[in-house]
Amino acid sequence: MMDFFIWLEHTPIANAIRETRWMYATFETSHYIGLALLVGGIMLIDLRVLGFARTLPLKSMIGLLPFVWVGFLINVLSGSMLFIYGATSFGFNHAFWLKMTFMVLAGLNALAFDVSVRRSKVDWVGADLPPIYVKAFATLSFVLWLCVVTTGRWMAYI
Amino acid sequence: MLGFLAWLDDTPLSHFVAETTWVYPALETMHTVGMALLIGSLGLVDLRVLGFKPELPLLETQRVLPLAWLGFTLNALSGTLLFVSDSVMFYSSYTFRIKIALIVLGGINAALLGSKVFQAPVPGKVSPPPSVGAKWIAGTSLVFWFGAIIAGRLIAYTP
Repeated sequence: MMDFFIWLEHTPIANAIRETRWMYATFETSHYIGLALLVGGIMLIDLRVLGFARTLPLKSMIGLLPFVWVGFLINVLSGSMLFIYGATSFGFNHAFWLKMTFMVLAGLNALAFDVSVRRSKVDWVGADLPPIYVKAFATLSFVLWLCVVTTGRWMAYI
Repeated sequence: MLGFLAWLDDTPLSHFVAETTWVYPALETMHTVGMALLIGSLGLVDLRVLGFKPELPLLETQRVLPLAWLGFTLNALSGTLLFVSDSVMFYSSYTFRIKIALIVLGGINAALLGSKVFQAPVPGKVSPPPSVGAKWIAGTSLVFWFGAIIAGRLIAYTP
């Protein structure tokens, strides 16, 4: 594993990030902009499922997901660049692997939410009556993304 | 001013934030979550005024504004404490000053949007689509708030 991280850190991309002024700062800043879209969007949708801002149709709030996907893509790209730059340190950072674990859990949870929207026999989205287990998915999603942000922030301190 | 800030940097509160292991990262985390709440919800309103997601009833989008206020409060609190931990550095940073200016502009914009678009709906009367002026306010609001994210991130890299 260590050999792989060392190799990653010496790829032309990693060298370019290290040697070009502003490159690292640019990826880091993009990661925050992506975070605002991704986590801001998801939290709005989760809270709406839980009953916040009821006068906004649930269906159109779930329709905000393309913005969330844009944020996710920005962050996968910028995050990969940041990781390549510092693979040997991030690769052994416990906070980083916790963050990845929370991301996978949040992803599975989002998948479960998506499946329950698609498979619903009654149109609970249109009727604005999310079943209790969907509210559980929304709560879990909110908490998991809080954990992703927290562990991400903590990477610099452990 | 610098004399006062040097005194501030030597207060027990400043030492507590700067030197206790978990306090600084906890405040940074709070600042990040507050940012997502504030810009996520304000961004939704701005995008709706600009014409995205027309299926969302325009006047009802103000229901998400309490979330923007929550995010703003979290960030004013955490931001103040982060500032106090190293106030001479932050005060001397041009990038930090730009960030504060952008936040003030963003706040003025939000207030303007409130008075131009989100007046109490008249019952039975369909509210008109946002004026060109309102769209300008919403567009610049997005520029100011995303600008504040960028400036905030660059404080560590610039004078």
